[in-house]
Amino acid sequence: MTEQTLEKTKKRIKISNLHEIGLLIALIIVLLLFSFTTENFFTQRNFTSILRSASYVGLIAFPMTFVLITREIDISVGPSVAWSGLLFVILIKWYDFGYLTSAVIVILWGTLLGYFIGVARTKLFIPTFITTLALWSALRGYSLFVTEGRPIAISNKEFRYFFGGDILGLPTVTWIMLGAFLIFWFASKYTVTGTNFYAVGGNPKAARNIGINVDRVKILALIGTSLFSAIVGILFVARVSSGNANLADGMEFDVIAAVVVGGTALAGAVGTMTGTLLGCVFIAMISNGLIHWGIDPDLNRVVKGIIIFLAVVINSNFTFKSNSGGPKED
Amino acid sequence: MEILELNKISKNFGAIKALDNVTLSLRSGEVLGLMGDNGAGKSTLIKIIAGNFKQSSGTINFENKKVQFSKPMEARDKGIEVVYQDLALCDNLTAASNIFLTREIKRNFGILKIINFSEMFKRAKDIFKELKSETLPDEEVKMMSGGQRQAVAIGRTKLSAAKVVLLDEPTAAISVRQVAEVLELIKQLKNQGIAVVIISHRMPDVFAVSDRIAVLRRGQLVANKLAKESSPEEVTALITGAIEKA
Repeated sequence: MTEQTLEKTKKRIKISNLHEIGLLIALIIVLLLFSFTTENFFTQRNFTSILRSASYVGLIAFPMTFVLITREIDISVGPSVAWSGLLFVILIKWYDFGYLTSAVIVILWGTLLGYFIGVARTKLFIPTFITTLALWSALRGYSLFVTEGRPIAISNKEFRYFFGGDILGLPTVTWIMLGAFLIFWFASKYTVTGTNFYAVGGNPKAARNIGINVDRVKILALIGTSLFSAIVGILFVARVSSGNANLADGMEFDVIAAVVVGGTALAGAVGTMTGTLLGCVFIAMISNGLIHWGIDPDLNRVVKGIIIFLAVVINSNFTFKSNSGGPKED
Repeated sequence: MEILELNKISKNFGAIKALDNVTLSLRSGEVLGLMGDNGAGKSTLIKIIAGNFKQSSGTINFENKKVQFSKPMEARDKGIEVVYQDLALCDNLTAASNIFLTREIKRNFGILKIINFSEMFKRAKDIFKELKSETLPDEEVKMMSGGQRQAVAIGRTKLSAAKVVLLDEPTAAISVRQVAEVLELIKQLKNQGIAVVIISHRMPDVFAVSDRIAVLRRGQLVANKLAKESSPEEVTALITGAIEKA
């Protein structure tokens, strides 16, 4: 290898991995900090708990990474999770549908919702922020209206124990999340579909000129978050044994925070699945550790707010300065 | 041989007439300089040939057969390649990924199609070698100079056996030394029997490589003549409207 190419290689490692390496170091520091300052943080039980909450967030954060890369956003995921869980329970309890049929209907609902957001964006030119803000309000409101704010319980033990419990020492949802991670990681790196998300985020006008169906790529990304919100809704029901209009309160914040902390630029074009995975664990670990420190849950939200702000500052001023915001769309 | 013939092409955007009855033809191995002021319809014409826009009326013949492209991919399949004014590059992707965008080399594992990066890097490396450009296939485009970016954009046209290459302002955003490189490349394309259309505001560049000059003014073709029978002064007058027609 010549000196020049060696230098280029070094430069490339620096650019693409700096954020992930930095985040990994931050993660280890936080881990050590909480481990040495609290009694019950460094326990298997607590790690399982951290992994569990990171997994629910992760399942939506992976598709959200693609959404942000294509310069869109979906802030409706919290209420979408709550409503999907409720719909699942309502179909079972009020309409006597089977579990599998209900799950299929809920997943279909999620797909259609994402398709709707995507079509509103690409055909009616409504920013996804507006459409999903409207949904954020509407879905939560309708969930509360339908249930009058009361949870609807389900009784099926097999369903609860399997999807809400553990397999081989890890939460079932963590296994599902890891499976989803592998698929999304692979798609982002080695498939045409994944490349197209980056191309559309990098230069939408160029992508359109060269023959990529930009509308279809964006719709596909937006179907991702809604579809996985529906799946997480079902998994949440398994965990808490009921559908509840107040479920997943503020989850859109955790998801977007995890993605941004993971190095994805809100302006699009830049981001990795590995970064997002680390971001999810980071956010979950901080939330958990602060509880162990005995910090008020309301203040916990303040800390998370500061973290997302700092993450964007670091993101746009240090590691990815040249990346945030490419050419504007025509 | 006439490779591309445009017959009475018109294009309306609502009430605006971007192109009005344009008839123009192109031979293999010929370089046509397409000139005109901003809004004269040059880019619209290019985009119709490339399949980005559909003409409101008129027909296109390619290799003596009537064609109608509904998307860029169809035009490209026939051998019509475009290098866009902004080069249409994605800064966040590597040079090789940019060259192969929408034409990625894939390995098939059943229904699973995996991008074959090593093959793409190898082919891209050969293309850059052919273009005599020091561009690294696996480097992200955002790190590159204007000339390297141009090499990536032109590298795309090398993927297929292009018969017509349309260059939209190829010398607008690069340094003087790089302009010479690009003009040399256009001559190379011509020598390979490829028909080239170059859109440019830079009169010296156009006259340096073009065999023929066509001038558009307000959507109408006002001149179509051999470069050696014209002059920069005449073309300027045609563009501004000081001379009605030539």
